[in-house]
Amino acid sequence: MGKEQLLSLENNLFTITMLLYFAAMVLYFIFFAMKKENMAKIGNRLLLVGFILHSIALIARGIGAGRLPMTNQYEFATSFAWGLCLVLLVFIHRYHFQALGTFATPVMFLIIGYAAMQNKDVRELMPALRSNWLGFHVSTAIIAYGAFGVSFAVSLMFLIRDKMSDTAFMTRHIPPKENLDMISYRAVSLGLLFLSFTIITGAIWAERAWGSYWSWDPKETWSLVTWLIYALYLHLRIRRDWHGRSAAIFAVIGFIAVIFTYIGVNTFLPGIHSYA
Amino acid sequence: MQFALILLLLLVLACAGGSFITQGQTYEWYAAQYSERAAGAIIALGLDHVYQCWWFVAITAFLCLNLIACNLVRLPSLLKRYRQAGEAERYVHTAGAVSAEEPLDEEQARKVFSDLGFRQITQGEGFLFAARNRAGFWGAWVCHLGILILIIGFGFGQMAKETYMVYGLPGQSKAIGDTSYILTIDDFSIGLREDDTVEQYTSRLTVHNASDGTSQSAEASVNAPADMYGMRFYQNSTGWAARVNITENGEPLQSEVICVGEYVSVEDKPDLVVYLNAFYPDYYLDPGQGPMSLSSKINNPAYLYSVFYMGQMLGMNALLETEELTIDEYTVTFSEPQNFTIIQIKKDPFTFLALIGGLVTLLGLVLAFYIQYSAVWAVEENGKWTMHGTSPKGGVLFRDRFLRAVTGKEQEN
Ligand code: HEM
Repeated sequence: MGKEQLLSLENNLFTITMLLYFAAMVLYFIFFAMKKENMAKIGNRLLLVGFILHSIALIARGIGAGRLPMTNQYEFATSFAWGLCLVLLVFIHRYHFQALGTFATPVMFLIIGYAAMQNKDVRELMPALRSNWLGFHVSTAIIAYGAFGVSFAVSLMFLIRDKMSDTAFMTRHIPPKENLDMISYRAVSLGLLFLSFTIITGAIWAERAWGSYWSWDPKETWSLVTWLIYALYLHLRIRRDWHGRSAAIFAVIGFIAVIFTYIGVNTFLPGIHSYA
Repeated sequence: MQFALILLLLLVLACAGGSFITQGQTYEWYAAQYSERAAGAIIALGLDHVYQCWWFVAITAFLCLNLIACNLVRLPSLLKRYRQAGEAERYVHTAGAVSAEEPLDEEQARKVFSDLGFRQITQGEGFLFAARNRAGFWGAWVCHLGILILIIGFGFGQMAKETYMVYGLPGQSKAIGDTSYILTIDDFSIGLREDDTVEQYTSRLTVHNASDGTSQSAEASVNAPADMYGMRFYQNSTGWAARVNITENGEPLQSEVICVGEYVSVEDKPDLVVYLNAFYPDYYLDPGQGPMSLSSKINNPAYLYSVFYMGQMLGMNALLETEELTIDEYTVTFSEPQNFTIIQIKKDPFTFLALIGGLVTLLGLVLAFYIQYSAVWAVEENGKWTMHGTSPKGGVLFRDRFLRAVTGKEQEN
């Protein structure tokens, strides 16, 4: 297949993926609102099919462009949604936790929707972006952001469960607060570990490309802010008296910082990261 | 730890705040951007250089002290916990954080161990015991140590780091700052793709050490710096240079290549100076925006120059390659536009320390999050075994997994 065909394949698969994610989101809502168990099961299947097609789309784009498909705003956004879907599927499966889909799919849909609004052109890379470290940097960021997305959804559920009374439906579909706290902790752990990889590989790359591994560029600074917020989350969790609620609030703030680092910094603050 | 939380929160606020205020500007700049009062406050509080100012350094220093104290204080108890975590005797006489309700027979009990991933089982008088991932106890400790090394490496690097910029054309040699090293640019090339976008910039460099007469050569390109004499050479960027030809009454007087931003003095009238302000490879005079280049290809080269006599500017204009500039008996022309290379040179002996700090932090996080300690034991009473387990960080997830493994066996009964 030629470059044009691969890219048009990617384009089509992307659209199908987006529709599948949307359908999954709707089914998860029906499941949650109307207590229809099998809706969640079908939603989960659609999510899985969407994820597979999404993966093929990314591979097609990678081959078509002759490089990792993670170097501009569109590519990073679609990869971000892919990473979130991956972590979401793993967490739903691992913790037998379908209701997570109801809270996480909207976030995923927003991100892939954001991707759809970006310019999809494949552009040649400027020399500073031609580095293997960039590959490590961005692929670890995708997993980190995906994991933080999941922790955001779980923490929202925690806060809702904290506020609302324990109806039969709630207890049936949302795990107890203790479990939510632990699952959010597992997601933050994964995210923080990968964010640390992201920052370190980014620093190594910056050192090689710009001669300075840390220059307080706004994107760098905000990745540090995000990192520190999640460090705060971890320490808050350890304190028995603060357990749960305040940690959950910090997990939500952390994800807002993630989104700001990703979109806000490019939009509101100037810096060398402005192309990514 | 309360103090640590406050320090972390202050760091978050400082970092976030600093990113919203453009750093490193003057009072006048801030006054024009915000207001005079705001500008005064920004300068007084050091908000124009947040990440280097005293209070930011102080917060970081307190964080380091806190980390040192915390790691020192916790070391003895950690060592003790680490040692005891492998001792069956400490556990088997007590109930676990989670205990099974129904006892199992020995074979089933052993199966629970293996289902939960325990391979090595210690068999004692009336008990079975297994523990794993004791190394995980060290996670937070190692992580804190890593952060400390990282901050120290970064801080020392900021103080000890030396950076220089050298630019030049192939064949030129220049001193590197006030060091005894001389940098020669042997060659400079720009690799273009078919669509004329730049794929790579590459400089071939030789460094000569004037103090011992040795030299080393290497190639530096973007993303692939060269290391020589403990310094790192980066292909930083590029700019334009051109040949200036001066004739006097039609006779050639001088001809030399200068970079944009440099000047020549006329040989027999040194007070007369021609300065090369800019170069436009594809010149176009836009009525609104002034001189500009339509592309980076040399289609219609033009040179923006200014002329000074005894320090006074006589004029400034753009000159095409076909045009001449006449000043009394002198005629000036420009030709042979070419690229010069800009090399950044850095010496930071502490980069490796920061890198080690980063890697140690990563190791700590892996230990803290993915090597979680857990212990399971079974105690015999009348040929039946009661299962217990504990995992300080596994919480309800460990409990659920433990109970699932145990009830699985109970149901088989
Ligand atoms: C940038 C700063 C810091 C980061 C990123 C950080 C990171 C961590 C991490 C990852 C853990 C493990 C949490 C877990 O396993 O769930 C932890 C635990 C802990 N940290 Fe920090 N830390 C920082 C600063 C500090 C400081 C300054 C103190 C000083 C008192 C401190 C005290 C503790 C304590 C007491 C624990 C509990 C350890 C345990 O339960 O095993 N941390 N920290």
